[in-house]
Amino acid sequence: MSASARILDQFSKSNGSDPIRILGASGQLGYGIPTSAFSAGLGRQPHLIGCDMGSIDIGPYYLGSGEMATAPASTKRDLKKVLLGALKHKIPLVIGSAGSAGAKPHLDKTLALMREIARDNGLRFRMAVLRADVDKNVLKVALKTNGVTPIDDMPGLNDEEIDAAANIVGQMGMSAFQRALAEGIDIVIAGRACDTAIFAALPAMTGFPVGPAMHMAKIIECASLCCIPGGRDAILATLDHEGFELDSMAPQRCATPVSVAAHSLYEQIDPFTVYEPEGRLDLARATYHAIDNRRTRVVGALWEDAKEPWVKIEGSRKVGERAVLLCGTADPKFIAQLNELLKEVEIVVRDLVCEDSAEDYVLTWRVYGVQGVRMTPAVAETPPPEAFIMAECIAPTRERAAEVVRTTKQYLLHHGYEGRLSTGGNLAFPFTPPEVSIGTAYRFNIYHLMRTADLAGMFPLEIEAL
Amino acid sequence: MSMTAGPAMKLQDFAQVVRSKNAGPRRLTLDIIFRDDADYQRAVQSEALTPEKIAPLYGVAANTVTVINYPLGRAIKVVVPRKIMSGNPGDRDVYGAQQHTPLLELNI
Repeated sequence: MSASARILDQFSKSNGSDPIRILGASGQLGYGIPTSAFSAGLGRQPHLIGCDMGSIDIGPYYLGSGEMATAPASTKRDLKKVLLGALKHKIPLVIGSAGSAGAKPHLDKTLALMREIARDNGLRFRMAVLRADVDKNVLKVALKTNGVTPIDDMPGLNDEEIDAAANIVGQMGMSAFQRALAEGIDIVIAGRACDTAIFAALPAMTGFPVGPAMHMAKIIECASLCCIPGGRDAILATLDHEGFELDSMAPQRCATPVSVAAHSLYEQIDPFTVYEPEGRLDLARATYHAIDNRRTRVVGALWEDAKEPWVKIEGSRKVGERAVLLCGTADPKFIAQLNELLKEVEIVVRDLVCEDSAEDYVLTWRVYGVQGVRMTPAVAETPPPEAFIMAECIAPTRERAAEVVRTTKQYLLHHGYEGRLSTGGNLAFPFTPPEVSIGTAYRFNIYHLMRTADLAGMFPLEIEAL
Repeated sequence: MSMTAGPAMKLQDFAQVVRSKNAGPRRLTLDIIFRDDADYQRAVQSEALTPEKIAPLYGVAANTVTVINYPLGRAIKVVVPRKIMSGNPGDRDVYGAQQHTPLLELNI
């Protein structure tokens, strides 16, 4: 019997008084899962292991390029750890937003790792695969029929942007995972997904109220981050028909009423409302109660079904090729005039590299120590003793971007200015070459909601027997 | 530390957490969490953390800034729009995790 069939069977025979235990194993699978807390969690006989593997926070590069943010070796180590734990205890393992961004190349890389692990260790299991790629023609039709709306003042969408996107994904919700779990499987690997759906789908389909299940999911998707001190150790949630209890599997991490309530703020615009494809989680009446000094019980979350499903969609398109120059300075006269000098060098460079071609690139300076980090610059009372200068060029080709930063390096190094003493050179290079070709630059060009009457068609399910 | 009145203090000298992060690629969310209810009340009642006071620190209009008081978490949440979307050319902080610093020096 498959793991999901076993658990569903167990709850169908229950009289409703048995709680369900969900182990949040990782909020970022691929960066390492602390073994002792994960093992302690397995010892508590959970009914499901859930792991989130991706996010939009890492920026547009990964979605656009199809690359994973985590290293293959550490990703494989984490996948093996949670897979072996799930198979040993015959409980479903659910992984969402596979491969960092959850599009086809990310999902396929994750599946390839799963097949390798199965082969290397002689493992047999049934794996459900949920894809999250948005068909461009379906999206164009939705756009024409007022079925697409921007999120947070994102510019409106058009066919050109849709065609230019390297990858487009939708965030699947609970219903996709429930289709997979209903098929009798051991493992679910999903493309881009709501992190909550990973953990809430099974409780919701075994008769637990959706409000507390979803609230629990919202908290444990970050593992023990809701604790004091916060951390990435596994966390166990025990859900009943009224609410849930949180228990970090690392003894030094305490889930207190205030730390858990404060976690509702994390990466959210509104601490009281969470929107999911299938509905809305309302936390306005949620309350948090200490069980002891390191466990908290939470009740009162409400759920309201959506009248029609809207799916959050994300797309990323190529902007150009990126190269950077990395160098530093400690010269007080150079630092004092830096803004003006960089503008002068920009013009020198432009006149040289555009002698026989168009100004087809963008050169951006970030001067760390002066104005590299803050979106609104701080006004320093005294100039810093040193500054790190990064010149970034985005150009149509890798060669063009490299040409611009190499020229920039030479003319910034030897740029003459009023009062200059350091005629040997204005810059310190920590190594050479100080110019680096970074690869393709992307930007998010789709961050919208799409209306759909066909959630199942949007997130197709495949079953693979290994 | 707990005080409900007294001379102005910098936020960084009595808040337990002052953090920033993206809430999606087009918004920054700033969470200020306090050690106890007295510190939280002091901050709420000081009116130093209003959209009008915070907007200039982020170079945005006051009507685009949201401030939400969240007593359950002893926290004040501020949401501001990002002028450059996360990861767009010219961005300085893809995760938005270092944009809390303009708040640190606020007098409360």
